[in-house]
Amino acid sequence: MSDADGDLVEIESQLLDIVAQEGMIDRGRLNKDAVLLDLDIQSADYVMILMAIEEKWGVYLPVDEDLTEAKTVGDLVELVKGKIVEHKAKKATA
Amino acid sequence: MVITGTGAISACGIGAEALWTAARDGRSGVRQTLFPTLKRQVILEAAPISGADYQIALSTTNPRFQDRVSAIAQIAAGEAIDQAGLGVADFGERCAVSIGAGFGGAQTMDENYHRLLAEGGSRKIDPMCVPKIMTNAPASWIAMKWGIKGPSYCISTACSSASQSIGLGAMLVASGTVDRCIAGGAEALLVPGVFASWEAMHVMTNDKCRPFSRNRTGMVLGDGAAMFVLESLESALARGSKILAEFAGYGTTNDAGDLLRPDRDGAARSMRMALDHGRLEPTQIGYVNAHGTGTIANDLNETLALRDVFGDRFAEMLISSTKPIHGHALGAGGALELLITLKALEEQIAPPTINFIDVDPKLGFEPVPNVARPFDADVVLSNSFAFGGVNASLALKRYEA
Repeated sequence: MSDADGDLVEIESQLLDIVAQEGMIDRGRLNKDAVLLDLDIQSADYVMILMAIEEKWGVYLPVDEDLTEAKTVGDLVELVKGKIVEHKAKKATA
Repeated sequence: MVITGTGAISACGIGAEALWTAARDGRSGVRQTLFPTLKRQVILEAAPISGADYQIALSTTNPRFQDRVSAIAQIAAGEAIDQAGLGVADFGERCAVSIGAGFGGAQTMDENYHRLLAEGGSRKIDPMCVPKIMTNAPASWIAMKWGIKGPSYCISTACSSASQSIGLGAMLVASGTVDRCIAGGAEALLVPGVFASWEAMHVMTNDKCRPFSRNRTGMVLGDGAAMFVLESLESALARGSKILAEFAGYGTTNDAGDLLRPDRDGAARSMRMALDHGRLEPTQIGYVNAHGTGTIANDLNETLALRDVFGDRFAEMLISSTKPIHGHALGAGGALELLITLKALEEQIAPPTINFIDVDPKLGFEPVPNVARPFDADVVLSNSFAFGGVNASLALKRYEA
């Protein structure tokens, strides 16, 4: 496993921690196929999750099309992971 | 019930005409707005009232005892009252005041918290903090300045504050409680603390505000105030005042669902209620000034609700959002937008939705993209939908003597 892959795994795990904590959901229920609606993740939880992500990685994510289309925990994690990597790359070249 | 006066101050300048011409011609008041006391600021644009215009507003009011939100409320009210030609005898007990506000004296609160917390309480708190901050201050200052001794109200329902205030004012007149009402909304929230709070909601765009457009990513905040003189037809005719429009219908509903996510049914019921109240048919509506914040959630929800209410008419009538021009002024938003809606009716021109790129396939319509468009109709509608599930819709009709 390369360092970059290791980073991604770490980010993924930290993201799940955030979703569990801010959404007040048992971490064990957060598998990739779990549907966000079924977990009772509501609009206010999204705001809390996005704020926690911003605090951790410094990336500001508006509630845009992609985010509203995330249906499962896997969708959300993939999307946010991508944005964090993009943000890190931007910061590195800036 | 009719409207005989209008007034405004916004990022587009002082005066109703400045707001309308900016909206019609697509001239945006949005610009870079930096708050030096914020250590980190992600969103860099807003639609503030210019420093020079604030100076004018403050110079004619009473800043020692007022937050600037009360100053801009008075400037706008003064313009509306002048246009309506109201004199001393027209106020008193037969006049009401109904002024919405969201954040109240935001600047006073922000500055004084800063003194207390960041400066370790080394500077003393402004002893006028409480009366400056209270949300009903704009309504009370207007009542005091003009001697309005009837009912006074301050509705604070976030983005629906002004629309509900105007609706309530109209009901006070319609019920015969008063002959006239000064109604509208005022908001001066562009201060570090409130701005950072909105950043934390993650609904503001760090691109451009593009309501109903493909690739929209959120809203832009603004400051402003707009006021109306609402009057019984009898009173307006007796005074010989010029009638600008008929106030035709008011609807308001609550989603009783999610605190933040809008609800299609709640929004549709609000519009239907306004139409029913005015005994209006969907086919009569020529233009809708949408709530159109530019967020994914609102614009999709509002489009679905508009389709529900208007059916076949949806494709024919013109719909736009002017928020990219004057910003989303929360507690004043519905008033700024009703004013634009009134001028649109008067000139039979629908102002454009600027910054529009392309149709969002999920919405499937063009909201008068980028350039104004004429229409031919006697009735227009303005929507406001707020956090807390509060929806409000106002209908205006061309007045024919």
